[in-house]
Amino acid sequence: MRNERRLRFASALVAVGGVAITVYLLYVRASGATLACTTGGCETLQHFASAEVFGLPVAALGLTAFAGLVAAALARGGWARIAQATLALSAVLFSAYLLWLQVGRIGALCQWCLGSDLLITLLAALALVRLGLPPLATATAPVRPGPKKRPQGSRTNRKPRPQQRPQRR
Amino acid sequence: MSGLPSSRHRFALVLALSLLIAAGLITASELSAGKTGTETGREPAPPATDRLLAGIPQRGAALGSPTAPLTLVEYADLQCPYCGHWAQATLPVLVDRYVRSGRLRIVFNGMAFVGPDSNKGLLTALAAGRHGHLWDLVHGLYERQGAENSGWVSDGLIEEIAAGVPGLDGGRLLEERWDDRVGHELSAAAARAQQAGITQTPSFQLGPTGDTLERVDVSSLEPDGIVPQIEEALAR
Repeated sequence: MRNERRLRFASALVAVGGVAITVYLLYVRASGATLACTTGGCETLQHFASAEVFGLPVAALGLTAFAGLVAAALARGGWARIAQATLALSAVLFSAYLLWLQVGRIGALCQWCLGSDLLITLLAALALVRLGLPPLATATAPVRPGPKKRPQGSRTNRKPRPQQRPQRR
Repeated sequence: MSGLPSSRHRFALVLALSLLIAAGLITASELSAGKTGTETGREPAPPATDRLLAGIPQRGAALGSPTAPLTLVEYADLQCPYCGHWAQATLPVLVDRYVRSGRLRIVFNGMAFVGPDSNKGLLTALAAGRHGHLWDLVHGLYERQGAENSGWVSDGLIEEIAAGVPGLDGGRLLEERWDDRVGHELSAAAARAQQAGITQTPSFQLGPTGDTLERVDVSSLEPDGIVPQIEEALAR
């Protein structure tokens, strides 16, 4: 399950990056500070009607999603995998819609939104790979009663042989 | 792991749940945006009472009769002091001499490159344009122009300007300026400026209405800087 551990670690790391982006956007929104932007459309997009869902800033939704993804990545078990994949995939779909809004309807792009889109796409890919891994339960499956067979090639079930020093003559 | 769906079912479950959640969010976003949206093609605006603009038709970003033989496009930033000077010194002359008589139509192509206040002011002006009052807002802002990006395009200032324009609701304007469609108009104006190769403000294009316009180099920001070109174009 080394792969599982690596995937979880990588996912948590990427999701923390998303948390950082959304926290920055929320800070700028709350403080009224100038948003660092090289694409020119960040300031515009931050204030549009689409930047809120029923009064809640999209950045706050993003923060919730990324924080949830950190938690899901750190959690073990099959349901954690399902939760992580569901959250990541729905976030990708919503991000695609927001990207369409930026390009198609408003005509302005924001580097922070694009960065967040990239991270969420990466997270979804990682989550889907994790979801496709063999179930964790196989490692701790109850042993069926019956005659025990020693698995071939398995060293773990072998009794350690006492090492004998070669006798010197 | 008992109780967990099989591998294929896990993927199907994740896909179904994701679609459901995303659809919910998108619907909420659309409904939320729609609450502050404006309808296109609203009622024609009542005539402005401002002395300069009184009785002159405004449609979107255009000031003057749509059938005027000549069109002048002004590329300007609401924070640019030169644009402010031109608006105070030259625009009134052009309005009185050419626009009011139906010989010239002036189109305001706003640009927002100076900073956040330019952006905010232009969006508000474009929102006012949807009610036929873009020029009232633009001229009001030029009259009260503050230091660059000092936050001078405040909500209070917008409401103050709007209060002097019958038929314009300042509070509503403050909401409507963040409508996606207003943002699209801002982007379209920026694209037009880029296409015309505009790198400084104020810049101008002049030509027959509905035909190709040509760049006009003004010799000064006073009326003398542009009046000869207008006279020449009208004489053609």
